[in-house]
Amino acid sequence: MTHTQKRIFINKVIMSLSTLSAIIGMTFLFWILGVLVINGIDALNWTTFSEVGAPPGYEESGLKHALIGQLYIVGIATLAGVPFGILAGTYLSEYGQKSKLAEIIRDISDIMMSAPSIVIGAFVYAIVVTPMGHFSGWAGSIALTIIMLPIILRTTDDMLRLVPSTLREAAFALGAPKYKVIIQVVYRGAKVGILTGVLLGVARVAGETAPLLFTSFNDNFLNTDMSEPMASLTVTMYNYATSPYEDWQKLGWAAAFILSMFILGLNIIARLFLMKKRGK
Amino acid sequence: MATIVDIQQEKALEVKNFEFTYAGADTPSIKKLNMPIAKNAITALIGPSGCGKTTLLRSFNRIHDLYPGNKYEGEILFKERNILTSKEDLINLRIKIGMIFQKPTAFPMSIYDNVAYGMRLQGIKNKTELEGRVETALKSAAIWKEVKDRLKHDANGLSGGQQQRLCIARAIAVEPEVLLFDEPTSALDPISTAGIEELVVELKERVSIIIVTHNMQQAARVSDYTGFMYLGELIELGRTEEMFVSPREKLTEEYITGKFG
Repeated sequence: MTHTQKRIFINKVIMSLSTLSAIIGMTFLFWILGVLVINGIDALNWTTFSEVGAPPGYEESGLKHALIGQLYIVGIATLAGVPFGILAGTYLSEYGQKSKLAEIIRDISDIMMSAPSIVIGAFVYAIVVTPMGHFSGWAGSIALTIIMLPIILRTTDDMLRLVPSTLREAAFALGAPKYKVIIQVVYRGAKVGILTGVLLGVARVAGETAPLLFTSFNDNFLNTDMSEPMASLTVTMYNYATSPYEDWQKLGWAAAFILSMFILGLNIIARLFLMKKRGK
Repeated sequence: MATIVDIQQEKALEVKNFEFTYAGADTPSIKKLNMPIAKNAITALIGPSGCGKTTLLRSFNRIHDLYPGNKYEGEILFKERNILTSKEDLINLRIKIGMIFQKPTAFPMSIYDNVAYGMRLQGIKNKTELEGRVETALKSAAIWKEVKDRLKHDANGLSGGQQQRLCIARAIAVEPEVLLFDEPTSALDPISTAGIEELVVELKERVSIIIVTHNMQQAARVSDYTGFMYLGELIELGRTEEMFVSPREKLTEEYITGKFG
């Protein structure tokens, strides 16, 4: 075998191995999705959305309570986490820049991003649930906000820093004050990126179960009072799927399906935004 | 000491014993520099990379202040006032002394909004006035014909040369007295470059212009005065037609004949 033939051979081996690994990875992904879709769609019907949870054996049983609880908990967390995250990211990129404080905040939020979410649930349990004396929707939202914050903060920081500094200089050179440079020029240049970060942040917390077990806990009935325990899709899914009753298990599948489609949808939208941005 | 030709006309700016030190640097990047800038004329700054010409240019509108720790010493007089004091109102200074950058800096908004940006900052809200001044600025920047039918389009859809002229329109829309050009054609093709050069020459009737360039032919083509800088010092300031033919300093001659740089 000549030197060139050997190189071509090695090239083919490496290519085959990496392709094979990719296929194996994809197989599991589509397997999971497939099982989810088949069982999920089978379990879905109108009562899934129109009825609240019922004891096993009842026909009229659905996930309305969990869907609404989920919307409340994730919605409030988003309302709190997004402005906080964007403002903090703005501080890092536009004001703190490379200062010690900014670097420390970046490091801490990187660590927080990989912190196990159950730890954050336990933390909120200690500072909110224990003093209040009971579980609540607020506590769930607080836990999700804490998990969402570093993601939005860091993407905002990264996206703002991608805006060329000459664009800022050009705005300053026209006599713009700093806050106008940030709002009118920098945010505009980074809006797609920031929006992507927000979507990914929401998608990330929407699938959290562990922190909610410690905070908003669960409720089998429809509840819109945030200061009371509240149902969520994830915790409901956990309860139903691990129950011995077949109709509850079916609802568990339905919850899993709705949740996955929601998160998949958010991720796809985020990716479409990114593609549009790169295509420009 | 630098050889400085006597400028027999009014001065737009006057640099006196100016020193500039970047944050964290031990030695100044510009050392004890003295230089008059003629009014309604084009002054080119030439010199090898790192000679301090861009640093000097960026001192005139104090854009260095955006980054903490930079230090100015000496004086730059604009309308007989030292603009280097901490009391200087930078917003007003930058309205009077505009800047065009190396790469086009079109903002992520429409062509119209780009040109109106500076005027809106000054609180001009009247639609008729804005429209009129946007049109005048675009005409002055010789880009009106190309963009008049798509003023609401995204400015980033324009070509590099068009974007650069848009930036010039944006800068002159606020009616500055001085315009600073930082290598405005280094990212452009030859035809766009010729267009910008023509425009710069036309603009000198209304504003005083300082242009930093790496391209000596460009300095020779457009400027009335040329300053040659080397290692943070001004070596020679002369009338352009004289300086390129018979420079008085040996270093200038060596640079413009391509012996170094």
